[in-house]
Formats: sequence, structure tokens, C-alpha cells
Amino acid sequence: MAIDTLPATTPPRASGQLQRTDAPARRGRRRLTLTAWLLLVPSIVVLAAAMGYPLVWQIITSMQSFGLAQQFGKPAPFVGLENYAKLVTDPYMWTVVGRSVLFCLLTAAITMVVGVLMALLMKAVGRVVRVILQVSMLLAWAMPIVAAMTVWTWLFDWRRGVVNWLLTRMGLDFEGHNWLANPLSFFAVALIIVVWMSVPFVAFSIFAGLTQVPDEVLEAAQMDGASGWQRLRGIILPMVRPVIAIVMLLQIIWDLRVFTQIKMLQDRGSIASETNLLGTYIYQLGTGSSDFAMASAVSVFVLIITIALSWFYVRQMLKEGA
Amino acid sequence: MPARTRRTLLGVLGVVVALIWVFPVYWMVNSSMLPNAQLQLLTPTFLPFGGSFDNFTQVFAGGTFLPALGMSVTVALITVVVCLLFAFLAALAISRFRFRGRTAFVLAILLVQMLPAEGLFIAQYKMMAGLGLLNTVIGVSVIYIASVVPFTIWMLRGFVAGIPADLEEAAMVDGLSRTQAFMRITFPLLAPGLVASGVYAFLQAWNEFTVALVLLPDNASATLPLWLRGFIQASASKAIDWGQVMAASTLVAVPVIIFFLFVQGRMTSGLVSGAVKG
Amino acid sequence: MKRKLAGIAALATASALVLAGCSSTPAEKASTDGKGKTITLWLAGSDTPDALRDYLKTEFTKETGATLKIQQQDWGDLVTKLTTALPDANNTPDVTEIGNTQSPTFTNVGAFLDISDMYKELGGSDLLQSFVDAGTVDGKNFTLPYYFGSRYVFYRKDVWQKAGITQPPTTLDEFNKDVATIAKAEPTLSGFYLGGQDWRDGISWIFANGGDIAKKKGDKWVATLDDPKTLTGLEQLQAIYKDASKAPNDAQDSNQYIYLNDDDEIPAAKEGDKATPVSLSAATIMAPSWAHWSIGVKGTGDDGKVTRTWDDNTFGVFALPGNDGNTAPVFAGGSNIGISATTKNPGLSKTLMKIIFSKKYQELLGKNGLGPANQKYVSSLGDDEFAKALIASASNSKLTPAAPGWASVEASKVLEEFFSKIAGAPDLTALAKQYDEKITPMLNAKN
Repeated sequence: MAIDTLPATTPPRASGQLQRTDAPARRGRRRLTLTAWLLLVPSIVVLAAAMGYPLVWQIITSMQSFGLAQQFGKPAPFVGLENYAKLVTDPYMWTVVGRSVLFCLLTAAITMVVGVLMALLMKAVGRVVRVILQVSMLLAWAMPIVAAMTVWTWLFDWRRGVVNWLLTRMGLDFEGHNWLANPLSFFAVALIIVVWMSVPFVAFSIFAGLTQVPDEVLEAAQMDGASGWQRLRGIILPMVRPVIAIVMLLQIIWDLRVFTQIKMLQDRGSIASETNLLGTYIYQLGTGSSDFAMASAVSVFVLIITIALSWFYVRQMLKEGA
Repeated sequence: MPARTRRTLLGVLGVVVALIWVFPVYWMVNSSMLPNAQLQLLTPTFLPFGGSFDNFTQVFAGGTFLPALGMSVTVALITVVVCLLFAFLAALAISRFRFRGRTAFVLAILLVQMLPAEGLFIAQYKMMAGLGLLNTVIGVSVIYIASVVPFTIWMLRGFVAGIPADLEEAAMVDGLSRTQAFMRITFPLLAPGLVASGVYAFLQAWNEFTVALVLLPDNASATLPLWLRGFIQASASKAIDWGQVMAASTLVAVPVIIFFLFVQGRMTSGLVSGAVKG
Repeated sequence: MKRKLAGIAALATASALVLAGCSSTPAEKASTDGKGKTITLWLAGSDTPDALRDYLKTEFTKETGATLKIQQQDWGDLVTKLTTALPDANNTPDVTEIGNTQSPTFTNVGAFLDISDMYKELGGSDLLQSFVDAGTVDGKNFTLPYYFGSRYVFYRKDVWQKAGITQPPTTLDEFNKDVATIAKAEPTLSGFYLGGQDWRDGISWIFANGGDIAKKKGDKWVATLDDPKTLTGLEQLQAIYKDASKAPNDAQDSNQYIYLNDDDEIPAAKEGDKATPVSLSAATIMAPSWAHWSIGVKGTGDDGKVTRTWDDNTFGVFALPGNDGNTAPVFAGGSNIGISATTKNPGLSKTLMKIIFSKKYQELLGKNGLGPANQKYVSSLGDDEFAKALIASASNSKLTPAAPGWASVEASKVLEEFFSKIAGAPDLTALAKQYDEKITPMLNAKN
């Protein structure tokens, strides 16, 4: 079954092999370093080509005064770190940062918990149910984001939404209830959508990891009297930890810069200043107000926050033989 | 609780969860077959009985779907193929060699993942306009490849490291050339990793919207997400026809599902368990 | 529809932005020799009908031998695309439509070609002055009006009559009272559907009472939401939100007309059956003039698409009345048009402008319900009720404040936010003061 083996990461024995491959390295270290870099050349070239110039442009622009006039050819004055100073002293910026970090961590955590449970469920059920589960996950994952957002905003539509209809049927007064008007329920809806979209990827990755846990070990543990929870905590989770680590890191990175979902929900309603996350804030500064310098400064700032948030993880992963 | 009951209960739970998860997808397909008037009812219609494919016919009648489909397929396939090739080479380097600058490279590709894209559009436009690559497949593809290559390297790296180098060497002792050894031994073992990464790369390229909007300003070179949004906006300037919008959304989703089915077919040949369980 | 219907930021303070490198190409005459050449025209949204596009293409080729390529841009993406493409000589559209609120932002930075030399020839003082101002910097013309629209009231005669109101109101007070009466009589309907964030329509209540969003005091702009006159308007709005409108408090100014149509004439659905009520949910809306194409009795066209046929017995229109015998001021809507400063074909572009401003094309605009830029041809709108309401409401239209930071005010959506809080505000004065403090600094920010 194809799906069984979606994302897998470093199997535990990787480091052993690395040592073995290191053996020939002793013979011609310099030559091998050269070979290694040659293998990296295509990736480096494409990354440099696509990201190099924009990144440099962004860093330079973030230290200039750059608005629409500069875009149309007026020279951009260099202002040093003035934009950053403005940014860190702006209380609204910190509101958005706090909101984004909270949303990101909450969404990532829920995605991970649901994803792990889903993977465990896939492993626990029989073949038929597993295929049903996997197909439904795949369909959700395969849905284009613009299409998915159209359906979701429609499901939560205040007038014709199925969600309101169902809740009203269940005896609650949700007729004409507007989910997007209140920031809290706006983010609840956003969270549901983001989790719905992200879980398939997480579930498949972790499920692939789970297939690497030898059944014999689990059986042995069961015979020794370990409960389900003990087996999960003592054996399964430690063994799939590398997968969980990388997937978690990616979720944090992606959820911190979530943009399309929030933007499309905002387009349907809500108060922008109360529902902005970093992604939409950058968009508002750049595209909305043509303040490209501030937009760049915020982007660089987001990069720094992401590094700060994930530093622990990255170090851990590098230590574990990245 | 006896194991049997437990298994049944879990099975039921599994089916329920699957139904909840697939509901939005089902809703899209269901709505795409109903006339708009029916969709405007306050009581939702849960089954497309009496429905038709009229909405689809009308979406096709616009004549802009097929060119957009062609563009999207081209861009997505180029992205997948090139990205897998480049990422495989890089994964080989970082999992089989210890060399100076290795950690720096690993860190660098992580960093690239972290850059918010919303502030980059002016720079990307300037670069591609300067190179004369606006409205071209190559222009967007390069950006897409660069944005999926880091993750693909990470993913493939685990797979490459999992394949014993001795295996290949042993095959060469048996008289196979290096290329033959690679094609017969290493490649099959890598397949699940390549498929997983390929699916990821395909979805990213298929779904991407912002970069496409900036780098493909000409409507004639629009990709499907641009086409779908244009369709929704055009529909919104009249009374929005949800049935047609849902039909258009379904049309955008179908090729992805076909791609999945195709890939899955490749995989049923039993390569899978071998590679993962080693 | 993302039409920029707001008013026009004029250019009182624009002198601060004197353009050093304003690239005014040496006056090039309109060209008639363009064999083998192609120029590009960007039109925003789908408002310009196909017949008019075809006319432009044919006429342009006839006149010059060159080809005209028309590309439609979505209103929502227009600014992004103009920002990237206009400075880029290789990819710029030669001529482009631009929302009238967007025009000052771009003319100020030198994005458009100086066409002062053509101003007289294209219509001169006959062109709609407030729109001309929106395209003028330092007395030079960069963009000119393309068409104008306006907002007026659409209502359901049948529902109004059922509630016992047979005549359209003649004063704003009367209007406010009528829509509350209807809402009371028909509890499932909005007597007047006004979106909670729809400041572009709601602003008329502020204007009609003599208030404004902002005023210039000395050389500084100050938000004036807590001005007593503005507050009177806000109180009336609050009453409408509470007693007459059931619109959600985050609805904006798009697609209001769907609430006015009976959409759900499904054979099985019974009138009055609570499970499947028909979709009509508002007795009155305020919408741009072109909305009348989307309102009416439902039918099916030859191509199978839904058509709407206006029915005088069911639907009616009037310009929102003020309390001074005149109509209430509304936001002017519409767009401007100009030649990109980086165009490689200024001559051919000027020829295209001449075709657009010709009597024939102006009248075509009018016949399609779009207010012609040249006031001499306004009569081409016809004399039906739509034309009358359009002209009556446009006659008293107003512009957004000409403050330098107006673009930021719109981008931050602070007015949407303010309006959404009117309905639930226990103390309107306090709310108004709070938002004055937010808006004033934005108004004076220089970008």
C-alpha cells in the first residue's frame, strides 16, 4: 500500500552507516569533499537563483525608506535600523506577534496530537478501515487550497452554512450566527481549517514511522505486562521521535507564516486589525499601504522569530546526526 | 474488553473519523452537481439526487480551463522531476559524506524554509522581469523548485542513509556496473521516499497562488489556482453561482486525485515494505 | 466585486511630492501608423461589456493598423499588478484603467504619462471635474475619468406595499422610519440591509447630516467622527442597525443585491414553510448603479445561464433623499484611465485615448449604464428610472478626504472596524473619539 510509506525520516541506524561510509573518506578526504559539493551544486544553484536575490533585496530594503515612489524609480534613502526600531516599539506589532505565536503553537500542537492519534488509529484498525481512513485523508490533502477555502467559508456561511444548520437542528440557536465577526470564533474556524488541512501530512508521516516499530518488541512488552499507555510512552513514541521532531518543526514554521487561509477568511468578513496574523500584516503593509520597507523589516523579523522558536529543535536534530 | 470488541469499536471510530474528514470534499462534489437555486435553500441538500453535470458543462464552456490545466500540469511535473533529481543528489551528499560545510548547508536549507513569502513579490518580479521570464513556465518553476527542494532534501536524506552502501558494493562485486547497481538496488529502495517527496512537491506546485499571481500577469498563462480565483471573482461580480464555483473547484482537485491514484498504482508492487523495513 | 467606490483623494498636499524624475516623454503626437505593432490595455473587472471591448479593438485597428490587446485584471489584484508592471517598460500595459481612489497614489509617484497636451482635445472642462482632479498633480493631467457610477436605493415595491408604504420617502428621516416599519412588519426580513462594515454606503448618513470623516485644520488633517453633526448621522445609523437591518456586522459593500432577489423558486418549496423559506431577505438595499443588471425575476437564457429581468411591479429605485430637499451625498464611484509613463508606444496609446474619449465610445458607455466621463454625453444614459437615479445621486456625490495618508486608512480597514462597532456601542461619542485617535495619525502619515 503506497500510503503506508509516505514521509519517513532517519531510521535509527543511520549513524552506523555513516561511519561505514566514512571509511573510504579517510583515503581521499579532499576528493570526497569535492564530490559532495558537486552533488550539492544543483540545489545550491537553484536556491541561490530563486531565493538569493529576493533575500538580499529584502534585507537591504528593510534598511531603507522604500515606498511606492521608490518602486517607481526614486532613490531610496538608507535609514539603517530605523524601521526595526519603529517595529519593536509599535505595540500593535507585538499584539500581532503574540497572536501569531499563540495561534501557531496551538494549531501546531493540536495538529500534532490529532495526527499522532490518527496514525495510531490507522495502525490499530483492520486493512479495510485503514484504507478508508487513508483515502479520506488523501482527498482532504489533495484539495487545492483555494477550493478548500471556498468550501469551508461556505460551510461556515452565516446564512446558508451547513454548520449553522446542523447546530440549529441540534437545538442550539445558531440561525444566522456569524462565525467570523468575533475574533475568537474567527480564529477557532481558522484553526479547524488549518488543522484539517495539515493533519493528513502529519498522520501519514508518523504512520510511516510507526511501521518501523518492530511488532516483536511490542508483543514482548505486552507479555511483560506493559499497558497500552506504557507501550506508547516507553516504546512507540521514542522510536518515532525523529519523525515527530521534523514534522513538528515544519508545522511550526508553516503555521507561523499561515497566510492564504487567514486572508481568504478576512475577505469574507471579520475586522482585519483584530484578526491579522504576521502573514496578513506583511501583506497589508506591502501590498495595501505600499510600505515595502516596513513589510521587509517585518519579514526579516518573522525569520528571526521562527529561528528563535525552532532553535531548540534544530539543535537537537543536528545533534542526532543530521 | 475483549480484543475483538475493541477492534470493532476502533473500526467504527475509524470510519466515523474518515467521514468527518472527507465531508468538505464530499460537500464540494455534491454541490457541484446541484443547480444554484437548490443551493440557496436554507435547508441543505445532502445528496445530489436529481443533480446533473450542467455546472461542469458551463465551466468548460468558458474555454479557459484547459489552457490553465495544461499550464498547471507542466509546471507541477517540471517541479516534481527537477526537484527530486536535485534533492536526491544533495541528499546523497549529506547522508553519505562527512565534509566541511555540511552542517552549514543543512542549516541554510532550514533557514530558506522559514522566510515569509508575502514580502518577496517585488523582488521576485524584478528578477524574473529582468531575465525575461515573466509569463513563462521556467520562471515560476524555478521558484517552486527552490521552495520545495529544502524539505525534499530533508526527507530523502533519511531514505538514502537507510540504504546500506555495502549492498551496492556487493552488487558491483557480482559484476554490475555502478549505474546498474544503482538502478537495480538503490533506486527501488529509494522509491517510497521519492514518491512521498514527489507528492509533496506536486501539491505545493499545484496549489501555489501568490507567486503565480505576480510572475504570471498575463491571463493566457494562468495556472489553475489563478484560474479558479478569477472564476470566483467573475462569478461574484454577478450573483455568485455556487454550483459553478464548486464544479470549478472540483475540476481543480480531480487531477491531483488522479495523480495520487497513479502514484499509488506504482507503489502497490510491493517495493514499499521492503524499503522501510530494510 | 471589489470596485473602489470610495471618493477621490485629491491632491491638496501633493506639492510635497514634487517629482524629480517625472518622465514626461517629449510631446509625441497621437500616431496613426502602427502596422505590425501591438499595444495592451488593462481593464479592471468585467464592467466594460464585451461589445465595447470589440468596438475599441476594431476601431483601433482601423485607425492605426496596429493591434489592441485587452487584458482584464481583477479589482482585487489590480494594485499589486500595477505596482510591479507599471515601472517595467517591457511588461507595462500601455494604457490602464485604475480605480479613482487608487489614481492619486500612482499619479503622485510618476507612474503615468503627462497628457496635459491632450486634455482639451479629449473633452477638457466637459470631463467630470472631481475625477480629473484625482488624476492631476501640480496642474498636470496624468489620468482622466473613464466612467462614473453612483449608489442609489433599490427596493421591493411588493414588500413596501405590504407594510403599508406606497410612496418612496422624500426625506432621510422618512426613509429611516419606513425601513424600521417594514422590519417590524416582516420580522424575517431586513427593512434595509446595511452591512455592518459597509462604511461606503453608510457614510451617506454622516454626509447628509453635515458631518465628515476628516477635515483639514491648518496644515494638519484631523478625523472628525466625534463632530456633533457626524454623531447625529452615527445615531441614525445605529438605529438602522438595531431596528431595520439584519445584516451581519462584518458584511461589506458587495453583492447586496442577492438579498433582494427571489432566488429559490423551487417547485417543492412552499411559501411560509419555515424549513425552506425563499431567499428574499431584504426589502431595501443600497448598491452601485450597475447592480440593476443583477436584480430581477429569474429566467434562463439561451446559453442556459441564469438571467434577471427587471420587473417594474416588483422592483423600484430612488436616489437616497437628504433632509434638505436635495439628495443625500453619496460616494462617487468609477474609475480613471491613463497611459503608463514607461510605455514604448506613447503615440499609439494616445490614439487609443482619443478613441475612448470620442463621442461614439462615450455614448456606448452611457448606453451600457456606465456614466460617461464627458458630461456632454450624459444623456446617452437614457431617461429610464436607473438613469434618473444615477444622475440624481451622482449630482451630489462626494470624495474621500484628500489627506496624504488616506491609502493607509483604507488599507488598515479601520473604517470597516469602526462601523462594525456602531451597532453595539453603548456610548457613540466615546467610540468616535477612540477612532479619531486612531485615524488622525494615519491621515497625516507621509508615504
